[in-house]
Amino acid sequence: MKKALSMLLVMVMTLACLSGAAMADSDKYLGVMLSTNVMSLDTNLATDGESFEVIADCIDGLMQMDAAGASIPALAESYDMSEDGLTYTFHLRDAKWSNGTPVTASDFVFAWRRICKEAGEYAYMFGSSVGCVKGAQDIIDGKAEPDTLAVSAPDDKTLVVDLESPVSFFASLMYFPTFYPINEAFYSSLEEGTYGTSPETFLSNGAFVLESYTPGTASLTVKKNPDYWDADRVKLAGIKYQVVGSSDNALVAFKTGALDVVTISGNQVASAKKDAELASKLAVTGAGYMWYLTFSQTEKNADGGMLANANLRLAISNAIDRESIVENNVMDGSLATYTAVPPQFAASSTTGADFSEDQMKFVDYCDFNVEKALEYLAKAKEELGKDSFTFTLIYGNNEGDVIAKVAQAIKSQVEANLPGVTLNLQPMTKAERLDKMQNDNYDVALTRWGPDYADPMTYLGMWITNASNNYGFWSNAEYDQLIKDCTTGAYVADYDARWDAMYKAETLVMQEAVIAPLYTQANANLISSGVTGIDFHPVALNRVYKSAVIE
Amino acid sequence: MLKYIVKRIGMALATLLVIIFVLFVLVRIMPGNPFPSERMSATQIANKRAEMGLDDPILLQFVRYMKNVLRGDFGKGSSLYNGAPIKTVLSSCVSNSFRIGGLAILIGTVLGLLLGVCAALHRGKFLDGFCTVFSIVGVCVPSYVFLIFLQYNFSYKVSFFPYFFDSSRFLFSAILPALSLSLFTMSTIARFTRNEMVEVIDSDYVRLAESKGMEGGLLIRRHVLRNALVPIVTVLAPLIVDLLTGALVVEKIYGINGIGKLMVDAIAGEGVDYNYVLALGILYSSLYIGMMLAVDILYGILDPRIRVSAKGEA
Amino acid sequence: MSTINKAAASMQTPADYTPRKEDFALLEQHDIATDKNFASQGYWKGVAIHFFRNKRAVTGLVIVLLIVFFAVFGPMMSRYGYKDIVSITTKVNGRNRQITAGGLAPRIPWLHKLLGGEAYEDQFADRTFIFGTDDMGRDLWTRTWHGARVSLLIAFITILIDMIVGMSYGLVSGYFGGVTDNIMQRFVEVANSVPRLVIVSVLAIFMKKGMGLVIVALLLTEWIGMSKIARAEMLKIKEQEYVLASRTLGARSSHIIFKEILPNTIGPIITQVMFSIPTAIFTEAFLSFVGVGIVLPQCSVGTLIEDGFNNITTLPYQILPPILVLALLMLGFNFIGDGLREALAPKLEDM
Repeated sequence: MKKALSMLLVMVMTLACLSGAAMADSDKYLGVMLSTNVMSLDTNLATDGESFEVIADCIDGLMQMDAAGASIPALAESYDMSEDGLTYTFHLRDAKWSNGTPVTASDFVFAWRRICKEAGEYAYMFGSSVGCVKGAQDIIDGKAEPDTLAVSAPDDKTLVVDLESPVSFFASLMYFPTFYPINEAFYSSLEEGTYGTSPETFLSNGAFVLESYTPGTASLTVKKNPDYWDADRVKLAGIKYQVVGSSDNALVAFKTGALDVVTISGNQVASAKKDAELASKLAVTGAGYMWYLTFSQTEKNADGGMLANANLRLAISNAIDRESIVENNVMDGSLATYTAVPPQFAASSTTGADFSEDQMKFVDYCDFNVEKALEYLAKAKEELGKDSFTFTLIYGNNEGDVIAKVAQAIKSQVEANLPGVTLNLQPMTKAERLDKMQNDNYDVALTRWGPDYADPMTYLGMWITNASNNYGFWSNAEYDQLIKDCTTGAYVADYDARWDAMYKAETLVMQEAVIAPLYTQANANLISSGVTGIDFHPVALNRVYKSAVIE
Repeated sequence: MLKYIVKRIGMALATLLVIIFVLFVLVRIMPGNPFPSERMSATQIANKRAEMGLDDPILLQFVRYMKNVLRGDFGKGSSLYNGAPIKTVLSSCVSNSFRIGGLAILIGTVLGLLLGVCAALHRGKFLDGFCTVFSIVGVCVPSYVFLIFLQYNFSYKVSFFPYFFDSSRFLFSAILPALSLSLFTMSTIARFTRNEMVEVIDSDYVRLAESKGMEGGLLIRRHVLRNALVPIVTVLAPLIVDLLTGALVVEKIYGINGIGKLMVDAIAGEGVDYNYVLALGILYSSLYIGMMLAVDILYGILDPRIRVSAKGEA
Repeated sequence: MSTINKAAASMQTPADYTPRKEDFALLEQHDIATDKNFASQGYWKGVAIHFFRNKRAVTGLVIVLLIVFFAVFGPMMSRYGYKDIVSITTKVNGRNRQITAGGLAPRIPWLHKLLGGEAYEDQFADRTFIFGTDDMGRDLWTRTWHGARVSLLIAFITILIDMIVGMSYGLVSGYFGGVTDNIMQRFVEVANSVPRLVIVSVLAIFMKKGMGLVIVALLLTEWIGMSKIARAEMLKIKEQEYVLASRTLGARSSHIIFKEILPNTIGPIITQVMFSIPTAIFTEAFLSFVGVGIVLPQCSVGTLIEDGFNNITTLPYQILPPILVLALLMLGFNFIGDGLREALAPKLEDM
């Protein structure tokens, strides 16, 4: 054994000497942690934040976000909107793909038609509930041909888009990766299914070009694009991405210097805060998405439709101590949330005020208040003629380290504060959780929703009767009318009236506790000293590196 | 013997077909769509499923799939990795997992055998006790905990090994994961070797050989070890298959692009990716079936009295 | 193969002559009766004597019994239940706020004071947590022993599955060989090849989740390793002379398999049982993680190890108690196993 061990040691040492030399010389690359694998570099198939981040490193859209998150021109030098708000004309600047061909308006036409035709996860951004591009919904539903999409390229530098109804935030949608261009000639020259699977099969026109990537890889690198139209702004030599599976591992990787930017959660944040040096490198940024409970209101679930009773839902919502969950379980600076539309992502363009700035506006319906919860419970018991309720709470076990803890805390609080209510926990994969919710086969679910665009409608659109994300199967005619007025009806042109109407709609949701909001996710980032200029956003693109600098 | 092997291979192919069919049906029963669908309408989902041929009778789907597989086409992903052909994605994962797993098997088997033999020869002494404790610790501490320990000490406290896997420096960055993965194999092999050898050493024929004046390495090699190898080979074979087909948590921690993580991504990602599950299932079962065949043949070589093949076929 | 094999093959198939009852004459009845009685009593008595004379075996037994004792009574020794989140409620800015005792290192205030340590400064200064608290603020002492219950149950079930299903399957498959072996081994290949995650998610559709499902999931694959070992041993032993002799004398297959061959295969079988226990305990943790095992906030040693692992560098003490319990349990089982092996196979007795 001793011999074997010493032999092993010799072997290891020799190897170390052999490979030691290869270590240096990647210094100017920024080491960044990704929480999960990059699933796709194809805008048509990408669905996760990691993929969107890498795509946005390499490809520019018509617009981009400034440091504060407002949309500013990128590939579009400028754009005009017709008076009725139904036609947008984008004027493109001179930019090049990384194979030397110029970026033209037809690259957008090609990419957009393709997305509508394939009707993937994010095609809905073009459809009638968000972008309202004329013809998009029919193509997505398989009822029309892709060339009926009302997007045209009168010349190489002009892109004209017709909308079905005015969308006040349409220009800001353009920084979302689903709206990015793909070069048609290049795409067609590739074997089917290989686009975006290697640096050779991927074209960029953005700040970085793909340097090394294979599908499924745990590490990839992008390097600076010298031909980028705004190349002067980009200071990094490149970015080295590394997928890190756990928060604990991320913390140690940061301490070793293996990575410059990591995201930690739970207990690791608490331990970093205790360490003065680490605490100074901690930056909490909004991640956008909100975790909430949704209740199935149909007869077949929840003990015979018990959760169709608004008072019972209100009782549960008021029995949860969100502050405690955020502070003791999530720990990463996430915000306890008491509104159906989370704070920090949608600001009014006339007043600049955050739609959900005032978290106490629904304090009568959503708060941590045990007495009120008991009152609601008493009413519910009377209305339902029942004294005890047993529900199952489903959650995804692969949706982050802390979710199981949040679920346990909710169970413990609800059962302690509401006598007679039992909440059983049921973990499952995210795919299964979604399946159960889509098929209305659950009682209570712990789920999340991230804003895809900077307008409260990204949340409020979920609770229209028969909307695919209306997992509670709640239906309210007044609500439907309000939302309709905001999207296609009376208020589309009147910004402030629309804003008020959305507030009214949100009130309806909260009054009946259609959902119980829990917290708005934040990211606790550790950033090496000397690294500055990374833009963090809660919407669409969480991290942008165009202005990042390593000193 | 040759006839037996040919017959076994024929049967292996039939078994494989059964396995693929069982898997084919089971994945389709699993809850969840084969593609991310959180933002899709019911019409969209229905269209997409129809487009993928999921509404056809299952037998028709199976025949279609098998036709493609026979042509070497495992299809493409529906929720994973760009819808790239599975062949291209799988090759890098397989190469990483096989190399790391192979290294782990090598370390585990060699060190395990050494430890077991030494313990058996020093029965009741310190080395024997060490072997017992080591193998118990080795199976109680999960390999990923051991990896964290190694990573913490040899990549962090002493920056000797890279903190994450780096495919461009394969051998060097494969050492920590391979070492941690080898722990379970090492413990199992050490324990089985020790116990088997103790039994064989006490047997009459070894005593006889000893009394005839045979001793030392020759006795150990020719009589003791060889006779102790049958159960060792039996436990080693499935361990080899498991190690080659990757270990999820170790891959996750060390950032290895391997089979274990691919399998879990395929099942527990945004959707259940049928084609990946099937391709990986075929890979796993072929390895397993092949390994079992190898073991049955090895039995006959290790102990000529053993005949796995039926009577008259020998 | 070899000539010996051919000779054996021709001898073991007495197709041309089947021994009849009349070919054998019984000795005097009472002789056999007393002999049998005496022999069986003496054998088990001998095993027990050998076992209890073995110091290591007794140590093992004591360790396992201690763990069983704590698994039963340990949770009662703490004032906190396994799912109680230890917390105090205070007012912060006029609103109720829960402060939990999350992530406390082991503390026994009176001992700490006795050793001259300074008093703890947080809100839980006077509370005793022998193993500390987990990151949610639950007492690890209670949880560890609560988890030990589940894992002891798993260990027990695994031993049963191994001994009943795995061993019989392997012995029968190896003994009969030929077509029987072929079919049985192909079935093993199918059973072992379907990924566990797939089987379990499909099973979960049809079964109520919980311990029952865990047992079914373990039943599906946990016996395979054992069956392979038993089959290998059977293949090795069945060609030996005493088996041949027994068969020639007309003994039934079940008698040969379970009475004559089984005792000679006990060594590797016991070793295999020992090694399948931790595998099963981690399998249960995996099942719980994917949502078909025990239901949170319940815990098992396996899930506690996984929890501890998530905080291994920040709260390192959290993973120690469950790993130690598992290691001690394994040590105990192994000592018992060794003792049994030696007691059951008398040729190993004087070493």
